[in-house]
Amino acid sequence: MLMCRDLAGIASDYIDGELTGRRNLSVKMHLMMCKHCRSFIGNLRASTDLMKAHSSSKPDEEFIRRIDERVAEALKTRKPRDGNNE
Amino acid sequence: MNTAVHPDPQGSLIEDLKRGNSSAYKKAVREYSPGMLAVARFYLDYSSAEEIVQDCWVTVIDAIHKFEGRSSLKTWLHRIVANRCKNKLRSSKREVAIDFSESLEPELANRFNATGRWDLPPSLKFHESADTLMENDALSDCLDKHLSALPETQRSALMLYEAHQHKSEDVCNILDVSASNLRVLLHRARQKIFLMVETFQETGEC
Ligand SMILES: [Zn+2]
Repeated sequence: MLMCRDLAGIASDYIDGELTGRRNLSVKMHLMMCKHCRSFIGNLRASTDLMKAHSSSKPDEEFIRRIDERVAEALKTRKPRDGNNE
Repeated sequence: MNTAVHPDPQGSLIEDLKRGNSSAYKKAVREYSPGMLAVARFYLDYSSAEEIVQDCWVTVIDAIHKFEGRSSLKTWLHRIVANRCKNKLRSSKREVAIDFSESLEPELANRFNATGRWDLPPSLKFHESADTLMENDALSDCLDKHLSALPETQRSALMLYEAHQHKSEDVCNILDVSASNLRVLLHRARQKIFLMVETFQETGEC
């Protein structure tokens, strides 16, 4: 039988839909009976969403600026290929 | 086949990059550099990683003419970064050390009793959406701190898979890890984020 500890070990696989037939089914059965594991799956999902919302919000402006400078410098030294380079 | 009716925004960005259009470069740098940095940090420390990303953009100015659109621009850029990092590691004979042996974080593994049931069950409650929660500066700072404390390998896997939405095969390909090892990296990273948010919600401390 699948124990809470086992389920916690494969929780991400379950969330991402990476578990196959029987294993996926045994997780579903366990979740029906166990509120702690339901809450763990929910918590893991929610923390991942939080991380996603967080890291998509802001690139490091200094880092971007330094690249812009390097690129602008490099573009200046190159001949335009297709005639106009706007 | 009528291909002309489909507007392809990425296609026109690529055309502009090929022409050396500087505002196209600005747009692409802003959009793709965070992902490229995530790839580089899988292999290298922060400052070397940043340097590699800069170098890659300079390379791209010439290499973009060879880009044929067989993969997305994002995947293509990420591969360039990964290859550069691998070359650099090869030349300095450094290896990336990764521990794939356990899928549970020790801190979480301790929360089960001898029979494998929860001893200290998860306690997080989410009443608000992720976007609303991120308006909490303290939580945002705390996430920053913990994300940067993640082992580079876990963070890169997490960033590419979640934040930059690559498919598993692409992440495996870019980072040179097996599918099962990617699963471990992702799961370990998610558990750490969960534990951090839980502690923050319980104690208000980071
Ligand atoms: Zn359970």
